[in-house]
Amino acid sequence: MTTLDVVPARDPLSLVFAALADPTRRAMLTRLRRGPATVGQLGEPFAMTGPAVSKHLRVLERAGLITRGRVAQARPATLAAEPMKQVAEWAEQFREFWDLRYDRLEDYLTTMADEPEDDR
Amino acid sequence: MMIWAQSFAVTTPDDTSIVVRRDFGAVPTKVWRALTEPEHLRRWLGDPSFPLTTCEMDVRVGGRYRWVFTPPDGPGAMGVSGTYDEVARPRRLVTTEQFDDYPGPSVNTLVLDERADGRTAMTLTVRYVDREMRDGWVASGMAEGLGRGYERLDDALEAMEG
Repeated sequence: MTTLDVVPARDPLSLVFAALADPTRRAMLTRLRRGPATVGQLGEPFAMTGPAVSKHLRVLERAGLITRGRVAQARPATLAAEPMKQVAEWAEQFREFWDLRYDRLEDYLTTMADEPEDDR
Repeated sequence: MMIWAQSFAVTTPDDTSIVVRRDFGAVPTKVWRALTEPEHLRRWLGDPSFPLTTCEMDVRVGGRYRWVFTPPDGPGAMGVSGTYDEVARPRRLVTTEQFDDYPGPSVNTLVLDERADGRTAMTLTVRYVDREMRDGWVASGMAEGLGRGYERLDDALEAMEG
């Protein structure tokens, strides 16, 4: 089996992907669709401690997926649309790219001359 | 689960892989040539708005490849490179793939199966380093849902938790 050299990716998309890869963080983002929420509110469904929630929020914040406000002691988290839009645009481009390329390959195959090895 | 099902089907059969399936109307030897010979690749992999400006391929075990797509009018070049690790013409090609500006690398296993009607069933398995990276790519489907007003997010999440 081919082995891979693990090179840590440093592009912004990688940060977003890594943040999205965790189911707890995805659930937190889903909760934030309904509006800003505090650490306590975000931890509630998971019976999670404040520090554990804060750790996840730092990952989301570093990826630019949320912003943190300052209301007295609380720092309510708010969903940030821009990185999601960037990933969405990438996903759309990726899909379009391969949709188009596979269609082009299909067309191109009909124009390619047969060779003796193509025994049909 | 299945995502991005349009002209090709994408599934995630295990923790670290994405599998792409698509049929082509030619025998495997012909599809193989279209996929591995630069003079053919340039003609379908590039297109006028995004031409394949660099296409270097040394298709043998240990050989390297480098493709660069460059838009004719402006920035936004996309480069990808890697190695050939298994070359079994016309059935199986194993390569590594690393985009210049996107997460990676991956090991890509291309299998061409001849069908009874002379068509070819292509199966491309893209295996990432770890689950996190794979899920990141899959999660881009979720991001798309978010970016488009959330309509697909719940489906995507449900599929991911399952």
